[in-house]
Formats: sequence, C-alpha cells, structure tokens
Amino acid sequence: MIWLTWRQHRRQALFTVLGLAALAVFVVPTGLSMRHDQRTLDPGRFADTYGSLALLSILLLVVPLLIGLFWGAPLIAREIEHGTHRMIWTQGITRRHWALAKVGLLGGAVVVFALVYGLGLAWWYQPLGQIDVRQTRFAEIFFDMQGVAPVGYTIFAVALGVVAGTMVPKVLPAMALTLTGFVGVRAAVALFARPHYMTPVAADQLVRGATGKPTGELDGAWVLAKEVRRADGTFVTNGTFRCPATGACAGDTEMGPGAYNHQLIQPGDRFWAFQWIELGIFVALAALLVWLAVRRVRRLA
Amino acid sequence: MEHVLEADGLGKRYAGRWALRDCTLRLPAGRVAALVGPNGAGKSTLLHLAVGLLRPDAGQVRVFGEHPYENTTTLAEIGFVAQDTPVYRDFTADELVRMGGKVNRRWDATLARTRLAQLGIPPRKPVGKLSGGQRAQVALALALAKRPRLLLLDEPVASLDPLARREFLAALMGNVAESGTTVLLSSHILADLERSCDYLLVLQGGRVRLSGDVDDIVAGHRQLVGPRHLTADGTVIRERHTDRQSTVLVRTDVPIFDPAWTVHELTLEELILGYLGEAEGATNHAEWGVPA
Repeated sequence: MIWLTWRQHRRQALFTVLGLAALAVFVVPTGLSMRHDQRTLDPGRFADTYGSLALLSILLLVVPLLIGLFWGAPLIAREIEHGTHRMIWTQGITRRHWALAKVGLLGGAVVVFALVYGLGLAWWYQPLGQIDVRQTRFAEIFFDMQGVAPVGYTIFAVALGVVAGTMVPKVLPAMALTLTGFVGVRAAVALFARPHYMTPVAADQLVRGATGKPTGELDGAWVLAKEVRRADGTFVTNGTFRCPATGACAGDTEMGPGAYNHQLIQPGDRFWAFQWIELGIFVALAALLVWLAVRRVRRLA
Repeated sequence: MEHVLEADGLGKRYAGRWALRDCTLRLPAGRVAALVGPNGAGKSTLLHLAVGLLRPDAGQVRVFGEHPYENTTTLAEIGFVAQDTPVYRDFTADELVRMGGKVNRRWDATLARTRLAQLGIPPRKPVGKLSGGQRAQVALALALAKRPRLLLLDEPVASLDPLARREFLAALMGNVAESGTTVLLSSHILADLERSCDYLLVLQGGRVRLSGDVDDIVAGHRQLVGPRHLTADGTVIRERHTDRQSTVLVRTDVPIFDPAWTVHELTLEELILGYLGEAEGATNHAEWGVPA
C-alpha cells in the first residue's frame, strides 16, 4: 500500500513541495530582513516599510483549503469517477485496510507539510504582530495562519474532501462540497466558538484622565469588544474615549461623570492555549469525518 | 456436483427499487457461464454481490461456500474484471503488475508478464494510451495473475471491436481450459457467447429467467411454425400470431411429431432473444404527455 499510495500521489506531492518551496523563497528573505530592520529602524519607519506584508499574508489563509481540495477530494472521488475502485477493492485487501492506509499515509504527509508551514509563518509573522494592535498574532485571520491551528485546518480540510468524495462520486462536485463545508465550519468556529474558549478578561479605564493605551492592548492581546459606558454601566458608544483629568470635554453631557472605557480581551499569553484548543477541535472533527468516510467506503460499490 | 457460486432468494435494492430480486442459481465448478440479460437486468449487481462489493438486502450469496461481502478469503479466490475494464490509466502495465503483488497474498507476476509479452503489450507505456483491446487484456492479465478459482467478468468485450473481442475471448478460453477456472461472464453480444460458453444464465427484470447447460437448453427448445390456433405441446415461452399462422417457442423434452407444425432448431442467440423479447415493455405515455 505504501508503494501504491506513493505511485498514485507522487505528482501532487511534488507540486505541494514545489509550492512550499516557492512560499519559502518569499518568506525566508522577508523574515530575515524584517528581523534586521526591526533592530535598526524606528518603529514608525518599520511599520511603513512592512505593514502591507501583513495584509498580503491574508492570502495564505487559503493554503489549508487548497490542500483539502487537491489532496482530499480526489482521493476517493477520482477512483469512483474512473471506476477503478472496483479494481482495487477486489484485490486481496479489505476496503477498510485500503482506506485507512491511504488516509493515514496522506494524512501523515499533510501533517508534516502543515507543521512546516504553520511554524514557519509563526516565525515570519512575529515582527509584524508588533506593529498594530489590530494585527497581533492573536487577532482574527492572523491567528488562523500560523502556529498549530493551520495543521488542524489542513487535516480537517483533507478529511472533509475525503468524505465529500464518498458522498458525490465525481471530483469536481466533491471539491465544491469541500470548499463550501470548509468555509462554513471555519467561519462558524472563528466567529462563534473561539471568543469563548476561555472567559474574557474585562479591562476598564475611566474616560477622565485616561492616558496611554488601555491595559491589555500592549502585550498582543485579542480585543473582543471596545465600548464606552456610563458610571451605571449602560452602553454609550463603541470605541475608546479619552478626556483630560480636568476641564470641559466633548462627550460630557452624554456620558456624565464616572464614565469609563470598557474592554473585553483575551490576554496575549493565552495565544498558545487557544492554538491548541483550535487544533483539538479541528482534529476531532477530522477524526469524525475519517470514521464516516471509512463507513461510507464499505457501503459503496 | 460442486457449486462455485450459489444464490438463494438473493436481492439488492437501490433507492427502493429492486435491481435484483429472488435470484436463485447454482453455478457448477469448471464451467464457462454466460450471464445474459438486457441493460438494467441486474447483471452487474449480481456480479458485485458475488465478488463482495455489495451486501445483499435479501437472501444470500455464497462463493465456495462462504459469504463474499468484505471477505478476503473468498476475494483471494476470485478474479474480477469490472465493466469498462478499469485500471489506473497513468500506471504502466508493468507498474500494474507490480501493484497487484503489493495488494494480493497470492500473485503470479510471471504469469501476467508472460501473457502480456505474448500479446505484445508495451510494458512501459501508460495504459491510458493503449487501445481499448490492449487495456482489456491488461485487466484480464491482472485478474488471472491472482490464479483465481472463479473469474467474474462484467461485459469485458462490450467496448471492443470484433477482432479485439475475438482475441480477448480466445485468450480467456485458452487460460481457463488449462487451469480449470470457473468463469462467469456477462455480455449482451450473444454471438460471442455461443462460441465460448457452455453454461447459460438469463436475467431479466432482476430475476433469473433461464439457467442451465447450453447444450441441454438448445436441445430442449424448438420453434414451431404452423396454422393459427393450433395448441403446442410443452411449455410455451413465446408466441407470435399473424392472421394465418403462429410461431411458437416451446420448451419440451419430447420430440414433436405433430405434422401440422414445422419444427425448427434454434441457435442460442435466437433462443435468448425469444426469452428476452417475451416481456412487454412498460409504457409511460402519461409521463411524456402524449396520447397512448
């Protein structure tokens, strides 16, 4: 099975390695020069020079999805589309053996790939994460492209592709199903589940006499909510408001005395805990999908 | 007599429709059997049940006395060539032979290589670039390399031209004559079957219509032509009437002496068509929105 799996998938393995190499050609030099300039340039210049790279990295979010589309979806769908499943499943090994060997070997290769990718980008992103509070490594999108979370996404995407291939026996519709499912689950987890992995910390600061940045913003935290509240806790507006300690201030009449800025944050030192939780969720989903796929395979003909 | 393949009340249902129903049959060892029937008669379903790709919804099927579903013991004894002779098209023939060795416990690679060499199949060309006939030969060589005791072939010659068809069947017959392998071969090219098969199974509408030794079947059927309204002896399989005369296909064990009938011998092909032509096609004028 090892030889067969390698023989069948060696071309896509080659393309994947080439893709990873192309990414490295971009990431390694820019990463090194960022580290150099971070020490020599002042923060403003550094932000001007490299700030746009952070936006470029948003494109990298699709990498796990691409792996799912091109490694996962065709795995079974192509066999069924070409009828070759009837050839390989009637040799001397069980379908369960066949499916587990294939998923295991490809899954292993994909994990190695995703680890290199995720940890490499975590290294690369580290200087960029200090430019702007909205772009810390903990913020949405940037959290998703580095560390161990992409490993979970990649495994999940591949498993989803494999299951899609057992549901619709053609490669292209299986890819479409994978795409839809992946985007849906990823968005749902990021928007609705992730903010609640741990109880957020409230950081309050009086509007009067506020100076500097509110607590928490400095150390790479994930800011979930920023709002201004009156002394009795009622909501005034979104955002942050600051007034000098004495004298008139623009929002006085509306806010009244004792108004404060209210922030909900996930402190920056929870980054890795959140990464592992995210990984765990997607690995569990992937395991469920693989189980489903093997079940389906034993019923197809 | 030893039976290689036995089915009892075997049935398989897809989305509420029975693809195969109440199928009871016995395939004796050492025969080359033809599985015949119109499209959708359940031929592929029966073969998939026999090779263990499908699990029965009703009744049971046994191959060498065992249930074949997900059973690697029986699977090792069965060589199967699915419809359209699927093989990995980006593999070369040599790589396919090598693959077989990896996924089978018993594998005669030399047998496969010798066969392919005799047929002049290029070993290092992707099989997707071979002709349909050559690809079918590769698929057959792979099935034979398992040295199976039962060979199941699902319309192996359907897509081949007449010459390739003849070569394929000749290669097949040559091998099974030496090894004593039992063969079940589905096809709707009837002329080929008459030449190569000695046992017949006719499926229609998911049920077995006729089964038995080809010689017995041919000997047991007569076509009678005579004046209208004459009653024929034996079991009437099919009758056609014009104003003046009747043509009747009967199954009978005794010779027909009634001089009113002109008795014709039947070829296997005519006989099978007689059976298959009997059922009235279901009409669906309502669905088409046209008057009946």
